[in-house]
Amino acid sequence: MTAAAAVAPPAEAPAVTTIAVDRLSKWLGPVVALSDVSFTIGPGVTALLGPNGAGKSTLLRILCGLTGASQGTVRVLGVDPRTDLALRGRLGLVAQQESLFEQLRAVDIVALSAGLHGVADSASAARGALELVDLDPADARPVRTYSKGMRQRVKVAAAVVHDPTVVVLDEPLEGLDPRQRVRMIELFVHLGAQGRTVLVSSHVLDEVERFGSQVLVLAKGRLAASGDFRAIRDLMDERPHRLRLRASDARRLAAALMAGGTVVGTHLEAVDSVLVDTVLVGAFRRALPRAAAAEGIRLLEVTPLDDDLDSVFRYLVDR
Amino acid sequence: MALVYRLLLRSLVTRARVIALSAIGLVGILLGLAIGVSDLSAADRSHAITRDLLGGFGLNLVVPVTALVFASAAFGDPTDDRTMVYLWLTPIPRWRLVAAGWAAALSVAAPVAILPVTVAAAVAGAPGRLVAGTVAGALLATMGYTALFLGLGLLVRRALAWGLAYVLIWELAVARISKGAARMSISVYSRSVLSDVGQVVKPLNAAAVSTSLIVLGVTVVAAMALTTRTLTRADVA
Repeated sequence: MTAAAAVAPPAEAPAVTTIAVDRLSKWLGPVVALSDVSFTIGPGVTALLGPNGAGKSTLLRILCGLTGASQGTVRVLGVDPRTDLALRGRLGLVAQQESLFEQLRAVDIVALSAGLHGVADSASAARGALELVDLDPADARPVRTYSKGMRQRVKVAAAVVHDPTVVVLDEPLEGLDPRQRVRMIELFVHLGAQGRTVLVSSHVLDEVERFGSQVLVLAKGRLAASGDFRAIRDLMDERPHRLRLRASDARRLAAALMAGGTVVGTHLEAVDSVLVDTVLVGAFRRALPRAAAAEGIRLLEVTPLDDDLDSVFRYLVDR
Repeated sequence: MALVYRLLLRSLVTRARVIALSAIGLVGILLGLAIGVSDLSAADRSHAITRDLLGGFGLNLVVPVTALVFASAAFGDPTDDRTMVYLWLTPIPRWRLVAAGWAAALSVAAPVAILPVTVAAAVAGAPGRLVAGTVAGALLATMGYTALFLGLGLLVRRALAWGLAYVLIWELAVARISKGAARMSISVYSRSVLSDVGQVVKPLNAAAVSTSLIVLGVTVVAAMALTTRTLTRADVA
């Protein structure tokens, strides 16, 4: 994967490029949804990470041809997704919206998707796809009675029933319980291992970590970083962190950490509470218990204050 | 295409739509019944049936409104409930999607519109040829209006309001007073066919049957082409 606009160490271009985006911008009226985004990705799982409103869904919609680019070029399997009709038979999309054909059964919806994509035995393909996502093909209930998680799985089954080369999934894990999430992540990894290009969007950092994949980080419509997940994680760890430490003697603990060089600033809040700033998260994690033990201080609580995604993305964009 | 046709047909036929439009049709049948049992002279009865009941109420109101409701919903409903993405993201040529949408809208609009108008003509005491003319005129009008209103559901958010405005302002007002505007009125051409087949007095600004058939055919093809273009370029949510 490469990213012209990325701030992470540039990764190598994939051996086979299935999606190529060059200087893509998209305006929605006066709002800039995407700005000068460039990257290429190949087969395997790629996670599209970013906070809500970052432009992930807009990017995925453009990749599927559902809307056009205002500027720049997009190629999926070498063609323009906005105009190439044949490409749509090789694409599978799990859209973010909940809408389904409410009055139909899950097996009917998935068979419909298969039929619309020209699958010969759509009934058999639908049963197979539903079993893949742990749903009962014989369930006679209409999908309007389904839970959010079940509906999400119906959408995934409908997106993969025609054996697409490129699978685009917009927040597919939303609404799933932890067991279903694990199962679904296994499915995505499996699809990627089969040589398909799987692009999955998420705003949950830990989810993306479990894909073990390449990552594109989108923030405020810009590509903030791209590359291997570990490289992105390291990049995120390098940013300044603020933590609240609660300890039996906060002042002495702060002094010990300052002396150790892993903390660049402290602010005593109370006898048992201190805010510390660090830029060496890894070293700080190791130094903290050692310093507490050496000083005979009881460490009560460690709370990261800026570990939410927004602050991570803000850092990546602003640096 | 059959798959898309069945899907759209199923979503179009809702109880609320069928009941509401059948109620309008029922009013037409009651009007026909009232004319049938009235003691009007033969000339007045013929005038009431041809001009008021069939031309006015039937082809100017029941048919366009029924066509509007179903045709604008064919692609309007999937756009509103955001299931359009499942139709759009398929390798099916857009013109085939549009043809399936038109066929689905026509399949449900034709019986709901034509049946009550025809029954109204019959119970009003219209002769057989006029009943036949009513079927022909209403069918052609339904075909034209469904094609015209199909793209409206894609183009605008309040398709019903825009469509009603078109029917009331253009078809019922402007086309009646302007000869030039009458050349671009589905109602005028369909009433021309009705009067010609029914062998009754032609409406104002009437056209020949051959001209009416050609113009209505061209209207259907042009409207479908425009809808295909709109669907191809649509931003799908």
